[in-house]
Amino acid sequence: MTQTITAGSEAVAAPRPAPHRGGSRNARRADRALTIFAAPSLLFYLLFTIGPLVAVFYLAFLRWPGLLAPHSWVGLGNFRRVLDDPEFWQACRTTVVHLIATVPVLVALSFMLGYYVSLNPPGARVLRVLLFIPGLLSLAAQATVFFATFAPYGLINSVLDGIGLGSLTKPWLADPSTALPSVIAVTLWGGIGYTSILFAAHLGGIDASVYEAAQLDGAGRFRTMWQIAFPMARGYVGVITMLQFLWNLFGSAGVVLLLTKGGPESRTTTLSYLVYEKAFLGYDVGYSQAVGVLLFAVGLIGIVVIRRVFRSRY
Amino acid sequence: MTSRTRSTRSMWPAHLAVWLYAAVLCIPLYFVLVSSVKDDTAIFANGFSLPGSWHWDNFSKAWDQAQLGPAMLNSLFITLGAEVGGLALAIPAAYALARSGSRLAAWAEKAFSLGFLIPGLAALVPTVLLAIELQLFQTRLFLILLFTANAQPLAVILLTQFMRGIPRELDEAAVVDGASRLRVLFHIYLPLAMPGVATVFILNFLGIWNEYLFSATLLSSDVSVRTLQVALPTLQSQTNPQYGVLLAGTLLCSVPMFALFAGLQRRMMTALTQGSLKA
Repeated sequence: MTQTITAGSEAVAAPRPAPHRGGSRNARRADRALTIFAAPSLLFYLLFTIGPLVAVFYLAFLRWPGLLAPHSWVGLGNFRRVLDDPEFWQACRTTVVHLIATVPVLVALSFMLGYYVSLNPPGARVLRVLLFIPGLLSLAAQATVFFATFAPYGLINSVLDGIGLGSLTKPWLADPSTALPSVIAVTLWGGIGYTSILFAAHLGGIDASVYEAAQLDGAGRFRTMWQIAFPMARGYVGVITMLQFLWNLFGSAGVVLLLTKGGPESRTTTLSYLVYEKAFLGYDVGYSQAVGVLLFAVGLIGIVVIRRVFRSRY
Repeated sequence: MTSRTRSTRSMWPAHLAVWLYAAVLCIPLYFVLVSSVKDDTAIFANGFSLPGSWHWDNFSKAWDQAQLGPAMLNSLFITLGAEVGGLALAIPAAYALARSGSRLAAWAEKAFSLGFLIPGLAALVPTVLLAIELQLFQTRLFLILLFTANAQPLAVILLTQFMRGIPRELDEAAVVDGASRLRVLFHIYLPLAMPGVATVFILNFLGIWNEYLFSATLLSSDVSVRTLQVALPTLQSQTNPQYGVLLAGTLLCSVPMFALFAGLQRRMMTALTQGSLKA
């Protein structure tokens, strides 16, 4: 579909006179033919990346009990089932908590940490390497480490026992009250370090004299951070917030699958995991993709809100 | 001078908080290191203690139980396959977008920038259906094709920006001399864009080697095709996980990336920041 549109727009564009830029007519024509070089890349991208994304919006209207079963059109039936399902609404609440505890916290702390590192304090070089390390660890590796850390006889409980707080020990990932916070902690653990490196690089581009001027005026480091560095990096903070929001909104299924499989008592079933669970474990592709469509809607609203919040004010 | 002392003093809580976080980052890593050579009784008794007796066999147990050998080869095969595929498609595409100036090129660049925002995982279920449709479900080939495609937005956008920085006169002169577009690409643009290619290669390597959810659903746990990231968690899903073995396995699976980092530290850090600054 998308392809016919592009072919059409190209055909419309072709007879137009070359835009007034340097180069002869011949060179311009050769330039246009050059677009062919982008064709393989675009084709792959349309087939394997965009195609499946578009398909979400089709599958959401089908009754499809399992990946290999026959399917039929049900219109809005899946959405009605989703919206009537208490499990969906619990997943919504879980997702809201997960996103609020993850995205703003992660972005704010990484920004502060990134600002700190960008000032090149003592030990900054070691710090940069340390902060980068979680970015090297795969999600699977991080999950196994924390699976052992949070285990009933794992690191945390052994520390609590050791310092005489044995009464606080619990199976962190299996206890309904601590499972979601544990999953969030894993995301924050490495995410803050990795993201702070990005902020440090971005803030590193700010001329040191800007900070010095502020400090001569009596502003402390903390005030300089929020009143000088933050406004200058505002747009970039917005981009990072948006990326973090979308990754966590759509991608939390991975960490949940590895750590808790949505349990205990569905306390860690985020919408992203619900999409996964319904399709692959619950044999209900239509339901799963209806949730997928709702996720896109949430994503879109989120993007608009985040853009508005971080719009430059100068 | 007063402002200097003042700001140094006010930095104290910041120093403390930052190094506390650094410790929080290091503790689980230390835990993995010491636990990988302990038996479970020792791990349960005190997670922090240095190993009393060294259980090197944890590593061989992890290697055998999770069949990490074939998994490592599969990871390498898929990662390199998608690297080659991704760059082979992205390099000419970037050249086209940087130089053609056509409407389609402008449109394609917008499409790629938009695709950069949406995580591919949003389409996990239809992607599985596509694999089944193409009769490539549970094959490494499908992952290579998928990762090749998913790598396009970032790779094309980054390389396009690199190639825009190359003066146009260079290739116009070459074209006048009768060089074909392909020759111009390979003899002028590619060498000059090499830093960009290296950045894309590193970012793709990190992303593909460490990828979990697509690999786990598209390959399932078929031993002959599954990657390292899919094999590792099987050590924890046993009814009675052995933590020493599990953490030895974690260490084994992380070594290749750490080795790469040790060799290419500076390049990797630049790659990361370039990849995000262009976002």
